[in-house]
Amino acid sequence: MLEVNQLNKVYPNGTHALKGVSLNVQPGEFLVIIGLSGSGKSTLLRCINALHEATSGSINFEGQEVTELRGKQIRNVRSRIGMIFQHFNLIPRKTVMTNVLSGTLSKTGVFKSILGIFPEAEKERAKKYIGIVGLKGKENARADNLSGGQQQRVAIARALMQNPKVLLADEPVASLDPATSHSVMQYLKKVNEELGVTVICNLHFLSLVREYASRVIALKDGKMIYEGGPSEIDEQWFQTIYGEEAVEVTIN
Amino acid sequence: MNTQNMEQALPQQEQQKIKVEHAQATVRAFFIDTFLWAYTLLVLHKIVYEKMIMNFRYPEFSWMQPAYALGAGLALSVAFFFTRLSVGKAMNGLYSVREDRTLFKEPFLQLGLFQLLLTFVAGIHISQVSMTEFLSSSGLSGARRIFTALFNPNWNIFEDALFAAIETIYMAFIATTLAIPAAFLLGFFAARNLMSSSSVLFALYSLTRFFLNLTRSIEPLVWAIIFSVWVGIGPFSGMLALFLHSVASLAKLYSEQIENIDNGPIEAITATGAHPIQVIWFGVVPQIVLPYLSFTIYRWDINVRMATVIGLVGGGGIGTMLMQYQGLAKWNEVGMLVIVIATIVWIMDYASSKIRAALK
Repeated sequence: MLEVNQLNKVYPNGTHALKGVSLNVQPGEFLVIIGLSGSGKSTLLRCINALHEATSGSINFEGQEVTELRGKQIRNVRSRIGMIFQHFNLIPRKTVMTNVLSGTLSKTGVFKSILGIFPEAEKERAKKYIGIVGLKGKENARADNLSGGQQQRVAIARALMQNPKVLLADEPVASLDPATSHSVMQYLKKVNEELGVTVICNLHFLSLVREYASRVIALKDGKMIYEGGPSEIDEQWFQTIYGEEAVEVTIN
Repeated sequence: MNTQNMEQALPQQEQQKIKVEHAQATVRAFFIDTFLWAYTLLVLHKIVYEKMIMNFRYPEFSWMQPAYALGAGLALSVAFFFTRLSVGKAMNGLYSVREDRTLFKEPFLQLGLFQLLLTFVAGIHISQVSMTEFLSSSGLSGARRIFTALFNPNWNIFEDALFAAIETIYMAFIATTLAIPAAFLLGFFAARNLMSSSSVLFALYSLTRFFLNLTRSIEPLVWAIIFSVWVGIGPFSGMLALFLHSVASLAKLYSEQIENIDNGPIEAITATGAHPIQVIWFGVVPQIVLPYLSFTIYRWDINVRMATVIGLVGGGGIGTMLMQYQGLAKWNEVGMLVIVIATIVWIMDYASSKIRAALK
């Protein structure tokens, strides 16, 4: 469903973030991308939904060449790809409901959305997804008053409102404590298994990778250096990916 | 690839850069020295010698004098450039720090302090600071006359003063209110982070910034004079002057607020496939509403004060009334107006700071 071929990304300041990355994502898998900070993980995710423009190479999503699209077509592709972020990126001062409804903006007219008019059916769906991420009753709470883990779950609900084929997760638990991390990962797993959404997730902790990933790729300096199952990453691979002096830290 | 070549090239590039920066600093230092020496000579001759020592009433001036000073300054800066008597080099950080000496023993600092002292002395002379006039008997009796009048305000004009003050407050309010939508729109065009994605947008950004700076650099007092000729003396011309200045100031404050927002929500809303206008409405606006309100209320507060001053040049309201009574030397009436103005300014100041504190 998603095919990335020889993807290169050079930022205007000269940083060569991705060097010929190719990968193939199968429907329904939970693909985890690992690598050091600055290895190009975030850039890769942002190229897939065209938040960043790829320098060369191709990204084929459901038969459409993402790198060649413009304007309305890009927005259409983005609307079918959900995304959650390390810092949640919710709209401050707005309620959980408004934040979740903002996932349907691509389907709502500009003028109507500015006036805050959303279809009843969408509101019902929003309530359903708020329930699915375990925040029933918090619909009218201000999003920035919630805890980190709750905010990330609101972000998941917002992404689900898009009815996404793929969910991109950019280090979704990197600013959460260990217990909350597991809870958020559990929700991602639920989304993956029960709703059938393909998940592509950047992660730091190998213990989480082993528990949740169905497949793993590793990036180092913008190049793909590993592709395989989560259990095949042994001590040697770990040191290749993270450097000689790295020591594995686990979270339970 | 040529990564190896690049790694070797980098230190060389760095060295080259340091050399260029050093040369630039030296040239800057030399210009500063020349200017400072020329300034010192000119002030010593024209003010200290001709005005203060010789007491010439109308000293001769020709453009050759600054030219000579500049020439002499050039010579002096060349002569002292390689000693430690160069203020320009000190300002550009070209002197090595000497641990064994305190800074006050450094010649360049002493020279700099001398130039500062010279400027102060010349300034006192040019401002005609005179204790004899400040404390002369005729002066003091004048002061007594005006202060007794001010403290005995004429309450008969209280009602008129109050109506004029109300005119001023409303005028400031309308100027602020009308400025909000204009500044709101312009604020987006003047925000660098929203406008740097394409060259067309960036040109629009530069143009907006240019006009805002131009409008802001002309004082509302000057705008009031212009508009009082255009639409006639009265509150309308004052309102227009305040409106124009408020648009420029608010748009700048608004745009700075936009430049400081968190990029995360913008990215998230963009990623849902939302239209750019929706991205601004849902990703940008919620982050800026409260600061905007705070700025706007503060602006109204400023506008009420400014409206008083603008009234002095024909902008209507209590300022115009003040000007009329001052022209007639009716100091008791002026005293009444001063009390009304002071009260309004105090109330506005208090209210606006309370409201802004509550908004945080």
